[in-house]
Amino acid sequence: CKKNFLNTAPDTSLPIEDAFSSPDRILSQVNGIYAGVKTGQFYGGRYLIYNDIRGEDFIVNKPNGVTGLDTWRFNLVSNTNEVVNLWGAIFAAINRANLVIEGVNANANLLSPATAKQYIAEAKFLRALCYYSALQLYAKPYITDNGASLGVPLRLKGEKDLTGNDLKRSTVAEVYTQILKDLNEAEPDLALTLPATSISIRATRNTAIAFKTRVYLSMGDLSSVVTEANKIVTATAPFKATTGTPLQLEANITNVFSGAYVGNATATEAVLSFPMADLDAPGTQNQLAYYYNVSINQAGGNEEYFLNPSGIFANPVFAAGSTDARKSLTTVSGANTYLTKFKKPSPYTDYIPVIRYAEVLLNLAEATVVSDPARSIALLTAVRQRSNPGYIFPATDLLPANLKNTILTERRIELLGEGFRSPDVMRLGAGFAAKSGTQGSAPAIPFNTAGYIWPISANEVQNNKLIVQN
Amino acid sequence: QDRTITGTVTASEDGLPLPGVSVKVKGAAGGTTTGVDGKYSLKVGNKATALEFSYIGFLSQTKAIGGSSVVNIQLKSDSKTLSDVVVTGYTTQSKKDVTGSIASVSGEKLKNVPVQSFEQALAGKAAGVNIIQPNGVLNNPPVFRVRGFNSISLSSYPLIIVDGIPVFTGDQSANSAAGNALGDINPSDIESIDILKDAASSAIYGSRAANGVVVITTKKGKQGVTKINYEGWVGTTKAQNLTPLLNAAEYVQIKNEARTNIGQAPAFFLQTKSDGSQVETNWYDYAYRTATSQNHALNFSGANEKTSYYVSIGYSNQEGFIVGNSFERKNGRVNIDHKLFKNVTIGTNFSYSNTLNRAPNTGSLPGQAFSTVGLGRLAIVLPPNVAAYNEDGSYNINAPAGSVGLGANTIASNYPNAAVLVNEDKNTSESDRIIANAYASIQIVKGLTFKTTYGLDNLKIDNNSFVNRLQGDGFTYGGGATSNFVKNSRWNWSNTLSYNGLFGDHTLGALIGAEDQYTKSLGYGATRQGVIDPFIKVFQGAFGAITPAGLIQGDNAFRSYFGSINYDYKKKYYLTGSFRRDGYSGLSANNKYGNFGGASVGYAISEENFYKNLGISKVLTRVKLHGSYGEVGNINIGNYPALFLYNPGLYGLSPALSFAQAGNPNLTWETSKKADVGINLEFLGGRFSLDVDYYHNNIDNLVQNAPQAPSKGVPGNAITTNVGKMYNKGFEFTVNSRNIEHDDFSWTTSLTFSTLKNEVTALGNNNADLFGATSLETANITRVGYPIGSIYTVPTAGVDPATGERIFVNRFGQKLRFSFARATAARYQYLDGPNAGQNAPAIDAALDATITGQSIPKWFGGLDNNFRYKAFDLSLGLTFSGGNKIYYGSLAGLRDQRFWNNEKDVLNRWTTPGQVTDIPRLVYGDNTSNGSAFAQSQNVFSGNFLKVRNLALGYTLPKTLFSKYGVSNIRVYAQSSNLWIISNYPGPDPEVSVNGNSTTTGNSGNLAPGVDRNSVPSGRTFTFGINVGF
Repeated sequence: CKKNFLNTAPDTSLPIEDAFSSPDRILSQVNGIYAGVKTGQFYGGRYLIYNDIRGEDFIVNKPNGVTGLDTWRFNLVSNTNEVVNLWGAIFAAINRANLVIEGVNANANLLSPATAKQYIAEAKFLRALCYYSALQLYAKPYITDNGASLGVPLRLKGEKDLTGNDLKRSTVAEVYTQILKDLNEAEPDLALTLPATSISIRATRNTAIAFKTRVYLSMGDLSSVVTEANKIVTATAPFKATTGTPLQLEANITNVFSGAYVGNATATEAVLSFPMADLDAPGTQNQLAYYYNVSINQAGGNEEYFLNPSGIFANPVFAAGSTDARKSLTTVSGANTYLTKFKKPSPYTDYIPVIRYAEVLLNLAEATVVSDPARSIALLTAVRQRSNPGYIFPATDLLPANLKNTILTERRIELLGEGFRSPDVMRLGAGFAAKSGTQGSAPAIPFNTAGYIWPISANEVQNNKLIVQN
Repeated sequence: QDRTITGTVTASEDGLPLPGVSVKVKGAAGGTTTGVDGKYSLKVGNKATALEFSYIGFLSQTKAIGGSSVVNIQLKSDSKTLSDVVVTGYTTQSKKDVTGSIASVSGEKLKNVPVQSFEQALAGKAAGVNIIQPNGVLNNPPVFRVRGFNSISLSSYPLIIVDGIPVFTGDQSANSAAGNALGDINPSDIESIDILKDAASSAIYGSRAANGVVVITTKKGKQGVTKINYEGWVGTTKAQNLTPLLNAAEYVQIKNEARTNIGQAPAFFLQTKSDGSQVETNWYDYAYRTATSQNHALNFSGANEKTSYYVSIGYSNQEGFIVGNSFERKNGRVNIDHKLFKNVTIGTNFSYSNTLNRAPNTGSLPGQAFSTVGLGRLAIVLPPNVAAYNEDGSYNINAPAGSVGLGANTIASNYPNAAVLVNEDKNTSESDRIIANAYASIQIVKGLTFKTTYGLDNLKIDNNSFVNRLQGDGFTYGGGATSNFVKNSRWNWSNTLSYNGLFGDHTLGALIGAEDQYTKSLGYGATRQGVIDPFIKVFQGAFGAITPAGLIQGDNAFRSYFGSINYDYKKKYYLTGSFRRDGYSGLSANNKYGNFGGASVGYAISEENFYKNLGISKVLTRVKLHGSYGEVGNINIGNYPALFLYNPGLYGLSPALSFAQAGNPNLTWETSKKADVGINLEFLGGRFSLDVDYYHNNIDNLVQNAPQAPSKGVPGNAITTNVGKMYNKGFEFTVNSRNIEHDDFSWTTSLTFSTLKNEVTALGNNNADLFGATSLETANITRVGYPIGSIYTVPTAGVDPATGERIFVNRFGQKLRFSFARATAARYQYLDGPNAGQNAPAIDAALDATITGQSIPKWFGGLDNNFRYKAFDLSLGLTFSGGNKIYYGSLAGLRDQRFWNNEKDVLNRWTTPGQVTDIPRLVYGDNTSNGSAFAQSQNVFSGNFLKVRNLALGYTLPKTLFSKYGVSNIRVYAQSSNLWIISNYPGPDPEVSVNGNSTTTGNSGNLAPGVDRNSVPSGRTFTFGINVGF
């Protein structure tokens, strides 16, 4: 009778045979990698949060194991949720990238050669972003021993069956080498510019270059930072990119955190951001605004972490009477002050800042402290004066001995809450400072002592016989 | 010479006339039946010496005629014959002839028990059947296991067949109001429950039989005038064995002492009200209550030669002891069988039910254990020195933080005010369900019958939840509502041809059949957030945002061919075999079909002539040996596990397509090879019986969501695959005894006792361990060589009397002292040995934990005693279980040294050197010493218990009082459930499993059994009821 009675298939999912069957679907797959990196467990929220709350600028207000308490107070073990979930999310995104690289190669006949190359380049860029992120928490910083310590396993082919569980950790240096290989291969193949609807939410050539400044800075390779940055930063103010996607500091930092960047021709600050939408939100307890924003006035925050009065919030930029525009990105609730950079209430559709042009300028400023102090100061001043036009740095702050610290301080002010504090502490070989509040305290963690880096996920240890725990 | 005999047949119990009784002359053909008044008239020949009277449900009697022309007789009802038939799938069989292993429970035993679904009442009633009630949430499905845990990753719930229809099971609710699908069936409609345990009896269900098959037969009308029965009860329920907590003054003292011990200023203070009294809140008062329940069942039944009917209606309204928890069921049933022509019978079983479940978020369902809004947890963590309400009657809340008000404390509790949640939040799950079938049966020639049956189970569920904007889950988004509607529909069409024949001493039965089944589920729903005006409490109101939620789409199909054969010679030698070929849509094209089968043999030694001549045959009147072997399957693998799938989604506003499921084209069923040997012994003609069975279930091809190294990035880090092996084996004993049988006094006893040994013998990925998580916590491991879901904790060795610090034992056997008061790197120090006092590496729960014991009971059973003295009856039902360990995770929370309230025992904390205690020195913020940070062995306890499950005292009113009103029988009774628990377990109830039946990774009931974490306790119920028969 019914010949196909036993042949059922879901109406809501696509069989793998059809996954690369048209140019539109292949583009969808590329977006799927971005979506994987952007998941709330990873770059859609938690990765930034972990990196900030490890630092000394935030104090826990809601001591909840689900919202990062043990990250904040360096009390993680290998099966703590953040350790397991972030590891899983990073590698799930890497696998998507690997599958897309293989899928585009296998179906290249459906695409123009340039488009095929561009898609593969985007996948490589994202793979590099994932590996870089994994190193920041699960491996010792490059500075420790020039990358001789154990990094993470390098998975470079798509996985979809039962084989291949065991893979050893490559060294930090090997992983950085792969990251740079991916970025260097991606750079020429990436689009110079993208259509308006994709500006800042997908990688272009300038995105890869900007990201390389961060990667080289993490490796302490200052001259390479300069080489890369020079491709997208003019020699003198006003600093901007002269080729590819227009990049320039926006006039007003509050516009940068208005919640969305896309489709705004003047949104030149976002080198890369991850979009959110009502139907593509970060998910419960992953949202930046939920952690940092206030709950009053229906702001949607849960006041999980407030600004440490003795952290960067002690800087005069945030003092009473300060006219620095970045002060307006904070709000008082009760006895504490909260960061309000991220402000969209539920379902929390703030775009995630991944790379901002301000960071590129500060990366370059830090790299030129010794080699070109005048340019370094000019870059620093550009960032400062965007938010406080009349501000003149005291001369002592700009002395050769102090300039780097001044830049690093500016970095903490400018990039507060954007996931930079922990990687910065670590690449500089510093320890994590002690911090405390009424709801708990966290000890100081000296450089490369217990708790300084995260353990490898317990699930990995259990299922990958070649893995070595930190 | 013929003469005419007349007489009246009455029932001995009530003296009422019995219509339809067959009356015939002994040794002759023909006869008659009694009329509605019980009278008969029969012409007999002169050779007739005696009359035989027979009637379904009554013992047949033969009475000599003598010279009389009037023969009156009283027939005794035969409760044994009612249960003498077992339903073995598509056929029925006399219990005497069964050679497989089938446990039968009469519907009588479920009568009047204050439960929501029948299987809750099965505890201790059938050997080999283990029922664990997870906690006191109403209509929460019990963990129902037949002969052990028969799967690791798939459902181990038995297949439930109601009147031939495989019905939906499990918790069908999408929110906190548990909705056991079997709660839709009115227990008082059930005639019998037959549990097919071994392969020979269950193989006719093929790929779905590995967990055992439970065949439910609903009631049918019996020959005679219309009978009307009413059963009703009212009752009250209270929570039992609540853990004593610190009062306000003790809380302030303990928490401040903890702060002082780490050099922090006191932060907790008593709050004085305007009348000078102090705030003292028992949060249990806001979570638990004394609840009332009522239950009514009314049925009409009867039959004549052509038609039998059973019509029932029922209403149950049960309140739980948890505030806001209730279960309300309305149901109706019509069962009709009608002889259309001489050789054609048609019939239907049609039932409709509406069930409304309501509950707060109890934190007690799978996946909820660590919810910060779970009522079970809130009641024990909220500070007792803070009021639920302000003096002006408003809620005491810390508005900007979304938590309970501070009172005089300077540190806020993170937790919301329980009073707000129980008053303002709502969860309901309402089901509308039709379970029905219609059949036609045609006798082609004598003994050969064709039957076609079409059955359906349509289950529609309307789930609604609302969370308020003040406190709890709805706080950050300004309140919200989630509703979804799910349609589950299944049809099942089976056609069978059966043959029964008697050839001299040879009895033969055979069956062949084919069956198609199709199941479809569709769900629609959305979540709304941001209540526009606080009066809005429903999904349909005005909200700021809406996103889809609870979307479900899936289908699956079975196509099956099956057959069975029964043969016996002189009721002495038995041979049966059955076979099924199942095709399942969820498997890949080359693997759709599988073959299953089983066979059994039986030998009734007591039927041998030599035995009958033995002296012992006078005492040991029946001896039957039986054995069976077969192979069945478990196919609860979901709808599409074989397929590799990509899911469309969004990247911002752009379409995004991503890898969503690593399928497995080689996937096939789990196979369960079941062996069974047993013996049935009857003494003194059945007055005392003993059944003993030994079973061995070898399960291989275990389907496992085989964990993949997360660095592979496979979605879900798992691929469904056939790996792994496990066995369950054990003994089962059933004793039934009619100890005393007098007219005025009788005493019967029944005992079931079962043992279970489970061992996992192979797992996927080179025998990689499987961890069983209870949401955020892992306290179970499934490891080769050990029972499934063993308790897995970091070993501790008490509290160091010198320092008051918790002693941990690491994987090298070294003892470490822990103090949260020291700097991170110095928190763990060696207790003794050459490095004593030096800093030690921190405990790593994943590496240092060890197996602390098995979590599933090694033995369990029940003991029922029933006494009757004249019009009084008394029944005492005990259940017992043990040999297992329970991880009492709640105790970690009850001793946690954050702002949480603690149990009273914390007053015994270490304070002075040399003091021996099991509560470490208190250090504020310490979540490690007592087990919150990772599971620890001091929170593992024996799960042995003996429960007075049921105690009932009844009185049957004298008939003379009311027989003139047509009432035949009135019995009143008082009853208690869960009256008493004898156990060393420190928590409320050792019969507990917060992960229930869930198979979801992260809260799997099979991978993480025996966990008591933040769940509500169980209840104790008293009922008063009445049964009336007309």
